[in-house]
Amino acid sequence: MSGKKGSCGDAEQQCPAGRNEMTLDELPVGATATIVKVLSKTRGRKKFADVGLVPGQELLMEAHAPFGGLLRVKVMETSMALHRDDAANIVLKTGE
Amino acid sequence: MAKRFKIALAGNPNCGKTCIFNALTGARQHVGNYPGVTVESKSGRFELDGMEIDLVDLPGVYSLSSSSPEEEVVFDELTKPGIDLILNVVDSTIPRRSLYLTTQLAELHIPMMLVFNMSDDADRKGLKFDIPKLEKYFGSPIVRTVGCRSDGIRPLLKKLAQTLTELEDHGVPMLSYGADIDDAIAAVAGRIDALGTTAYSHVPSRFFAIKLLEHDTAAMRLTVFHPVAGAVEEQIRHLREKHAIEADTFMADRRYAMLAGACRDTISMSQAKRREISDRIDMVMTNKILGLPLFFLIIYCTFWFTFVCAEPVMDWIEVFFGWLGEGVKELWDPAVLPYLRAMVTDGIIGGVGGVLVFLPNILFLFFAIAILEDSGYMSRAAFVMDGVMRRFGLQGRSFVPLVLGFGCNVPAIMATRTIESTRDRTVTIMVLPLMSCSARLPIYALLIPAFFAVKYHALMMWLMYVIGVVIALVAARLMKATLFKGDGEVYLMELPPYRMPTFKSLMLHMWDRGRMYLQKAGTIILATSIILYICNTYPEKQEFQQDYDAAIAAVQERQTGVEPGSDIAKQLEEQIIRLENARQAELMAYTISGRIGQALEPVFRPIGFDWMLTTASIGALAAKEVFVSQLGILYAEGETDSGSVPLRVRLARNYTPLQGFCVMLFCLLSIPCLATLAIIRRELNSWKMTGVEAVGLFALAYILTLIVYQTGLLFHIGVGITG
Repeated sequence: MSGKKGSCGDAEQQCPAGRNEMTLDELPVGATATIVKVLSKTRGRKKFADVGLVPGQELLMEAHAPFGGLLRVKVMETSMALHRDDAANIVLKTGE
Repeated sequence: MAKRFKIALAGNPNCGKTCIFNALTGARQHVGNYPGVTVESKSGRFELDGMEIDLVDLPGVYSLSSSSPEEEVVFDELTKPGIDLILNVVDSTIPRRSLYLTTQLAELHIPMMLVFNMSDDADRKGLKFDIPKLEKYFGSPIVRTVGCRSDGIRPLLKKLAQTLTELEDHGVPMLSYGADIDDAIAAVAGRIDALGTTAYSHVPSRFFAIKLLEHDTAAMRLTVFHPVAGAVEEQIRHLREKHAIEADTFMADRRYAMLAGACRDTISMSQAKRREISDRIDMVMTNKILGLPLFFLIIYCTFWFTFVCAEPVMDWIEVFFGWLGEGVKELWDPAVLPYLRAMVTDGIIGGVGGVLVFLPNILFLFFAIAILEDSGYMSRAAFVMDGVMRRFGLQGRSFVPLVLGFGCNVPAIMATRTIESTRDRTVTIMVLPLMSCSARLPIYALLIPAFFAVKYHALMMWLMYVIGVVIALVAARLMKATLFKGDGEVYLMELPPYRMPTFKSLMLHMWDRGRMYLQKAGTIILATSIILYICNTYPEKQEFQQDYDAAIAAVQERQTGVEPGSDIAKQLEEQIIRLENARQAELMAYTISGRIGQALEPVFRPIGFDWMLTTASIGALAAKEVFVSQLGILYAEGETDSGSVPLRVRLARNYTPLQGFCVMLFCLLSIPCLATLAIIRRELNSWKMTGVEAVGLFALAYILTLIVYQTGLLFHIGVGITG
């Protein structure tokens, strides 16, 4: 589950969005995707890593909160709420 | 002497840890705060097979990464010497996630026992565990439990007793994170050993090597390890160059990879994952459209439960204290220690009773909150409300405490403990006193009808509440933009599956808060009742401007012979009341409160207050509703409640509507009662912030009232006497 690398390697700039690549805040409700990388500029990157938001992990977008702000994501069988701004730093890959 | 053991209880949030703690220690708990932070510390004691056990309930955390105050507390506690055993509670329905913390605890090489909790749910989910293999892997005995029912605790106690007797030969896990990282760990650990420091000799150097390699702030702060910093950076550089992995997250990545491997060998899933009931409930509860209305409905039910259901109990308490006061008065001969008698019956029983009346409110409220929290709804409420609250610099979890503030600020401030972010919690606490609590209601109820026409009553009342809310939200925004600038903590909140709360934990929850309130009533309220009583009574004036007794006697003489019920009789009756009132007012002006009010009058005159209003607002420090009774005494109504028409008539004769409005505005915004200040100090754990709060609120109230009063005077708004 570890060691998979995103298509844009470890370059620190924003990844050019590939065909199947998007960030977590763009993932529609009900869709699943796999984490490619968590940008290193992300605040609290370690906190996210500790709850399982690490490359290779699959997640499911469960819900968007009313009036913006929070996203509800299921990762490793646990529902986590996180902020849209932080989610924009998590790069995903959908489908195979 | 019985053998003593210190056991630390560790686990993720929502893993059922508190439940197990309660089941083990019962009510024999000590709840406090860790020094310097607002993290709650809980410890308790129990006996097991003749062994005495001190159990420390550590805050629930996902990791030992010191990325939150809770995690730092856990790190500090676990690296202190003296822990005989770690009891690690694991939610066995999600083993891969729960065991993540276990991999870090295992590196401490402190004897550990794993509690695979919620095993009934795990069975239902179709999870099968190879327990002997897992025990070997973590070098720790494992017991399976089903939560906090007593039949779930018994095997735990049995295993615990056995483990404690065999502490000497506990197993040591040797976890492997992959050859590259294991080499780096060994290299750094070697350097730490070479330092020869003794401060942390009870913790394996390997533990700190890992922490330093992942740039853990708590470990990097320890000065004893500063000499190895160079070696650590070298290893990290090496890892990055050779394997393209990064310091702050590579350990997380490897731990999860390691667990995935371990779980593949030891845990199997026999049936396909089905959609859990909890998720189905959430389809409705956190629905984008239905979520908010449902939230408001649930909050309404909470209020209804708190205020309507508690009402009969409150009546009983009120009756009881009335009866107690009368009883003491009857039994206590007025000739014996008359001052003390008056103080006990009027001051203490009246004052403390007046506060204890709210105890049912507090208990019912916290029972309701405990249901919302233990069931898991509270985090849904925060999720649903977050978007709205964030616009005002607050967050989802701030909402419930703010609304509770309309009832009473004290329990509302206690309820802010559900807010995890220290900054958001501080801001919420600081603006909370601006929520117009129910104790301010009697003031409005007295003044609004005195000064305003009936058609404006509801509007004025509504206006007072809205002013409070608007200023609170603006203040929160301003504080976030100035005092508490910056991005703050990263928001990450778990929404645990819904669970049925147990009655025992609900009662414990309720009792925790109730006990705090009782302590407050027994200390600060008792003291302020006595002080206020003394200030309102002494020194007693002996020489009056006129001989009231003689004047009253003269009127009474004229009463004889006058037909009762006639106009003249009524006039005479009124004369007597007026004389008695005048004497009361003279007495009051002579007392400490009266003198303070007169001395401060120049300060308060610019906002439209005379010495009597000033005196009453000082009294309101004890409790807001005291303002009304103080004013009653000053206008010599004796015992007054807000329904008294004569007091209103007097007020209308003496003050303008503008002054009336200014009084309400000042009472709404200024320093809350002393009980609120005391609870703010306790919850913020800071005298300085409490001082800032008190001065800030006073300044806010004074300046706003000044602006309103002077503007009103300038434009002649509401300056005519209406009475």
